[in-house]
Parts: sequence; structure tokens; C-alpha cells
Amino acid sequence: MAHLGFILAAYIATFVGSAALAAYYLNRGRKLSAQLPPEDKPWI
Amino acid sequence: MAVTDNAITAQQGEPPTGRADEVAPTRVVTPSGTGTPFTRILGIATIIAMALLVLFGLFLSPADVVQGDAVRILYIHVGTVWIAYLAFGVTALSSAAFLWKRTTSLTWDRIAGASAEVGVLFMALTLFAGSVWGRIAWGKYWVWDARLTTTAFLFITYIGYLAVRGLGGSHQQRGRRSAVVALLAVLEIPLVHFSVKLWRGLHQDSSVADTTNVKLHDLMLFSLFLALIAFTLLYAWLVMHRQRVLAMQDAIEDKGLDYALQQRRDEGDL
Amino acid sequence: MFRIARVIAAKDLRIELRSRVVTNQVLPFAAIVMVMFAFALNTDAVVEKVAPGLVWLATLFSLLILVQRAFAIETADGATDAMRAAGIDPAGIFLGKAVALAAQLAVLEIVLLAAAFVLYRAHFRVSGLVLLVTTFLAATTGLALVGTLYGGLAAGTRGRETLLPLLLLPVVAPVLIGATRATEAALGTSGAVVADGWPWLGLLAIFVAVFGVGGTLAFGPLIEE
Repeated sequence: MAHLGFILAAYIATFVGSAALAAYYLNRGRKLSAQLPPEDKPWI
Repeated sequence: MAVTDNAITAQQGEPPTGRADEVAPTRVVTPSGTGTPFTRILGIATIIAMALLVLFGLFLSPADVVQGDAVRILYIHVGTVWIAYLAFGVTALSSAAFLWKRTTSLTWDRIAGASAEVGVLFMALTLFAGSVWGRIAWGKYWVWDARLTTTAFLFITYIGYLAVRGLGGSHQQRGRRSAVVALLAVLEIPLVHFSVKLWRGLHQDSSVADTTNVKLHDLMLFSLFLALIAFTLLYAWLVMHRQRVLAMQDAIEDKGLDYALQQRRDEGDL
Repeated sequence: MFRIARVIAAKDLRIELRSRVVTNQVLPFAAIVMVMFAFALNTDAVVEKVAPGLVWLATLFSLLILVQRAFAIETADGATDAMRAAGIDPAGIFLGKAVALAAQLAVLEIVLLAAAFVLYRAHFRVSGLVLLVTTFLAATTGLALVGTLYGGLAAGTRGRETLLPLLLLPVVAPVLIGATRATEAALGTSGAVVADGWPWLGLLAIFVAVFGVGGTLAFGPLIEE
């Protein structure tokens, strides 16, 4: 495939960026959730 | 017996059922995090959609007649820019909703903030993938055409919005202030777009004009739709989780010192 | 609302007349910016060509300082809060401060334009005079309106002032583009004709309209503490 390096760079950057944000949100969620009782978490 | 029952019920997330003198009364084990069955399904759907996107985008779809394999980046690029616009639109609508029924529904404010954050990330990804594409298609990482310039402008504007959200004060103040800034930004965007378009219209770079309108057929069109679906699912997943995290942050702030003291006491008991 | 605006504008201008911060600090700053542009751009031909843009850039940078100043005089003694508590219409405060800011900006711009004629060898032509004056009026009004609006937001304690450039500069981008192109047309820089400038003036007018209305409505919620 032509320009494979560039294309992969774009794909990888996108997926890594999204995954990083997702991981950050999940982690924050877990940490904060440990500090709160269930009535503060109406989605559960 | 009672202790074992308690251990089991504690694992299942319910309060211990043993006698009061046998267990610590305050600690309740709850499932951790911001996930719910719905978001788990959403997450799985997102991953499947992304996998399909990679399959079709990188392998199954053909290279373009004009721009060759560079078109593969466009699937990603269009996907992320679509989310960014969607995200900022949601921010604007949520901001309006917050101001409209200005009772106490901070949920609207949190949705606005979560959506803007996701939007900024995807704007950054859009600019990155776009400049890589530009490097292949035009030989340049950046050109000052109307679309790119307005996109860069949008990116900076919403970084400013996020900065305003971090200014402090009560949650209501934060909500009101950011809502106004979001709505002003929405007013501003067409002005900037129009002025940049008028400006760059004077310098029509033909090489840019020819290659930015791409005609997609069949599998390529399908890949593009796949990208739109995949990134929309991702957007929804990210915003739901972020909104819940923000809700917890607000709750913790509200409880403040009392809560921290209570936690210390709880730890002392165990 | 207009009576309050008049009172507040008069107050702001009187403070400026007595303290002379604009004349003693901001104008010299603007002048040094003009000089530094010449240092950076080096070639006379280049500087002549971009002179209109430099004038407006220097205006924008000075605007940041002017806006900070306009609200520093309020927050120093908690005056804005006092005015809000007294039930004074925020729209009136907004318009009054915008008028005062516009007056100071106008003085600044005249000086900058004169500096451009002298330092950058910009050429004046009579046929462009109407366009030039209208452009300056429209741009000044637009900048004063957004400056007051975002200045109100960024004013106050705890390091909010540093937010002002990040918020304000993107917003004034249309003014920078429009005013520069219109000024180029008025002065004939780079072979522009006067007729080229009027569409840009239209853009500036729309900007003024949008932020005139939007600012009046938004200022109240923004300064509420």
C-alpha cells in the first residue's frame, strides 16, 4: 500500500487517542465511585 | 454461617444481612465505576464497529482513482470531524437547555461540558489525520484554505470554553457562565467561517480545490458510513461516561469536608 | 438603560482623563509594537505591503490591555458587584463601558494609523477616505463590544485575567480579517481598489450587530457572581 506509514500513523493516532481518553474516563469513574454512596450514582 | 452469608452478599453489592453486632454497619460494597449494562453493550458495539472500519477502510475497500490509498485516511478524518461537529452542537443545545429551564438541572451543564471535551479531542484528531492526508495529497501538512482555518479556529475556541469551565465558583455559576460562552461561540462560528471563506476566496489554490471534493462509490461509500456509525457510537459512549464522572465530581465537591471526615472515620472503624 | 450607559461611560472616561493610563502606557506600548514589527519583518517592501494588517494587529494587542484596564478599575473595589447589588441594569453597564472603551480605542487607532503613514510609508488616497473612516468606526465598535463582553467574563480575582487573550483573540478574527482587507482597499495597498473594500465593511457591520445584541443579553449572566 502506498504511503502506508502515513496512513497507519493516522489510524493509530486516532485509536490510541480515543482509547486513552476512554481509559482516563473509566479510571476516574472507578476512583470517584469508591468515594460515593450509591444514592449519588443514579445510573446504577 | 452469618459471616459467610455476609461475605457473599457483600460481594454481590448488597448490605450485609448479618446481625448488627457482627458486622460493621457503615461499609457497603457497590459496583465500581460509571458502567451500566447499556454502556457495556454500547462499548462492545463500538469496538465491533471500529474493527469493521479498520477491515473495510484499510483492506476491503479499494484505493481511489485520483488520490490512491490516501483516501483511507479520509474515512477516519471524516468520522472524527463529524463527531466534533456533533459534539459542539450538543454542547450548544445542552447549554441552551440549561439556561432555559434554569431550575437546577446541572445535568444539562455536565452534558455540555462532557460533549465539549470529547469534541476537542476529536477536533485534535481531525486536524492530525487531516494534515497527514494533506501531506500525501498536496505535499503540505497545512494550507490556509477556508475549511482548515475555520476548523483550527473552532479547536481553539472550545479549548477556551473548557478553560472557562475550570474557572471555579459554584456549580450554577459555572453552568451559567459556560452556557453563555458556548452560545456566543455558536454565534461566532458562522461569522468566522464566512470571513475566512471570503478571505481565501481571493486566493483560490487550484490544487486544493480539485482534490478536496472526492467522489466515493460503493465500498468506499460503505466504509465512510461505517466510520460515521462507529464514531457516533464512540461519542455516545465517551459522553455518557464523562457525564457520570462529572456528576460524581460535583457530588463530592458538594459534600466537601463533611464527606472527607466521614470517610476517615469509616476507615478508622474497619 | 441608556441613561445608565451614559453615566458609566462618563465615569470611565473621567477616570481615564485623570489617570492617563491609556496615553501614558498603552499608546507607547502600541508604538513600540509597530516598531518591533518593522524589526521582525526587515524588508521595507514587505512592511509597506502588510502595513494595514500590522495596524490592526497592534490594535488587537493593545485592546487586550485596554480591556484589562477597563475592568481592573471595577474589580479593585468590587465596584461591579456593588453596581449589580444596587440593581443597576447590566445592559446599561455593558453599553456604557463599551462606549468608553470605543473612545479609547479610537484614539489609539488614529495614532497607529498615523504611525503607519510615517513608519511604514503607507499611502493615503482621498478616494478611499469614506471607506477608511467607516471601516475604523465599524471595527472600533465591534472590538469595543466584544472586548467589554469577554472582559466582564475574565475580570476578577484568582488568575482569570490570563484567560482574556485566549477567549478574545479568536472571537475578533473576523474583525481582523475584515478591517485589514477594507483598509487595504481604502489605502490601495497591494493594488486593491476601493470597491473591493465594501463587502468587508458588510462583514464588520454584521459583526457589530451580532455582538451588539448578543453582548447586551449575555453580559448580565456573565458578570453575575
